[in-house]
Amino acid sequence: MSRESAELLGTRARADRGRPALDPLLDLAPCGFLSFLDDGCVCAANRTLLEMLGYSPDEVLDKHIELILAVGSRIFYQTHFFPLLRLHGRADEIFLLLRSKSGEDVAVLANAIRRERRGEWVTDAVLLRLIERRKFEDALLEAKHVAEQAVAAAEDANRAKSDFLAMMSHELRTPLNAIGGYVQLLEMGVHGPITPAQAEALGRVTRSQQHLLRLINDILNLARIESGRIDYDLQTISLNDIVMATIPMVEPQIAAKGLRYDVDVPIGLKAAADREKLEQIVLNLLSNATKFTHEGGSLHIEGALVPDREDLVELRVSDTGVGIPADRLELVFEPFMQVESSHAARVEGTGLGLSISRDLARGMGGDLTAESTPGVGSTFTIRLRRG
Amino acid sequence: MDSAVLSRNNVKVFGRGTQPMLFAHGFGCDQNMWRFVTPAFADDYRIVLFDYVGSGKSELAAYDVERYATLNGYASDVLDVCHALELQNVIFVGHSVSSMVGVLAANREPGLFERLILIGPSPRYINDSPAYVGGFERSDIEGLLETMDKNYIGWANFLAPAIMKNPDHPELASELVTSFCSTDPVIARRFAETTFFADNRSDLAEVEVPSLVMQCSDDMIAPAAVGEYVSRELRGSTLRHLRATGHCPHMSHPEETVAVMREYLRSPVKGAQSVARIR
Repeated sequence: MSRESAELLGTRARADRGRPALDPLLDLAPCGFLSFLDDGCVCAANRTLLEMLGYSPDEVLDKHIELILAVGSRIFYQTHFFPLLRLHGRADEIFLLLRSKSGEDVAVLANAIRRERRGEWVTDAVLLRLIERRKFEDALLEAKHVAEQAVAAAEDANRAKSDFLAMMSHELRTPLNAIGGYVQLLEMGVHGPITPAQAEALGRVTRSQQHLLRLINDILNLARIESGRIDYDLQTISLNDIVMATIPMVEPQIAAKGLRYDVDVPIGLKAAADREKLEQIVLNLLSNATKFTHEGGSLHIEGALVPDREDLVELRVSDTGVGIPADRLELVFEPFMQVESSHAARVEGTGLGLSISRDLARGMGGDLTAESTPGVGSTFTIRLRRG
Repeated sequence: MDSAVLSRNNVKVFGRGTQPMLFAHGFGCDQNMWRFVTPAFADDYRIVLFDYVGSGKSELAAYDVERYATLNGYASDVLDVCHALELQNVIFVGHSVSSMVGVLAANREPGLFERLILIGPSPRYINDSPAYVGGFERSDIEGLLETMDKNYIGWANFLAPAIMKNPDHPELASELVTSFCSTDPVIARRFAETTFFADNRSDLAEVEVPSLVMQCSDDMIAPAAVGEYVSRELRGSTLRHLRATGHCPHMSHPEETVAVMREYLRSPVKGAQSVARIR
């Protein structure tokens, strides 16, 4: 027997203070019954409890309750269980590990009430042995732990992915710019005259290089947005200015397909936006509308205050293009997603543009949404706070 | 007066005296634990009660993982309360882990405190063999953490019966919910780790403020040898053995606790410096 237990078993003259005359019926109860005083001295224990722990009555009576508690539960008794009894007079469903005479842990659930009996404050506790429940609780705690670890790991992985994308995109851009630069020098004849066939080949190299560069810029943008490393410089900006600055960038493609377009954005309509990012969104919408509209179709760009919401403005880009089926409408905002259409051959692009555009719009406190009717056309609406 | 601290730490002030007695609760409870002893001092002192951030009715939102990762963070709570109320000549009463919190606070601002009353102090709970016996092995503390996890898992569950059985007294339920350690199991677990894995032995020799060490009989959390160690290391300390058994004499044996505290407070302030010379 350890020194500690010997101390606990040491004689403490208690006589029979508070000791209840145990109803013999209690010995038949299928759960443990225990009474103890405020100082922890045990004054009654039923046969079920004694058998559960392998003690004779004399080995437990008048001894300290800590004798039958596992060490962790002794601390819990002193720091939680007893204070709860003393301050509130009762405790319900307390998990405790008892310690049997042979040193085994016995898990119980305790309900206890503290009351006065013959001038002495006594706590009567009923102890229900846990076998299955403890296993379930262990499994539950383990599952919770695993889930927390999984969430943390997923967050780490996502961060690592964004960092990797940002780093890779940056590393890829440098050699691509070099390719572009040297092709340009070749095309200019700096290294000697080139044949028409070589010029055509160089033109293909340039187009491929520019396509790769756009793709990488998109990925870099997405990675920056996902890792939250993007700052917004919100200013009061005229929507008409933005549209007028953006249209020239897509005009060659519009003209090449023979599309008609009209702009109806009031001069005084202003939004709180980051100029560069808003231009990026509008350019993306105009370029999409051009790509997905058949020759001879038309584009319509319209700006207005949002009805019933004086604090919001919106800019709508509509086309008479192939349209998007209703069940795929939200998918266009997912990264790397292009809606396949039987009417159109797969159109060149990364599938990141709309995803980035929506993230940017939301980053400025607004949103980007879509409406569409297949075969009739689509309308993309940017909503922003009024400037 | 810094009212933010007063609400953050749920500070309560009462009593008819002028000299402040600041009561700091231990791990597992809150300021309610003092209610059996404070009435005895309310005539002669200004009683100050508070809850550490993360316990009782403190503002849980103010809990900062880094600040409360060591007992020094809890000592900051004590000093914040002293400053917010502009207390002077403070008699600090700390139970259990708060004894060491008081030691840390007194070492940071010795001029603030007149005396420290330490109930069941232990500067280190884990054994450091062979030189120091704290009473526990790491595995024992892990057993406590497991028991806590189990009890906090169904926190609402084990508080619910009392709530359901007293529908006419909702105030009882709310007191129960808020006065039992912390309702946040993560904070409670961290407080347990901060408490039981701390080692403040080297801080004891720094203490200049006189102190009373109250040592219970059969206290398994702070055994007699630990109380004697604390008293030996603290200059100008008085060691008193209590007949009270267990770890919470202010709840289990409030009369004896009050008597021993009163006797100490009536004795002249013991100069730590002169004691140091004698040693």
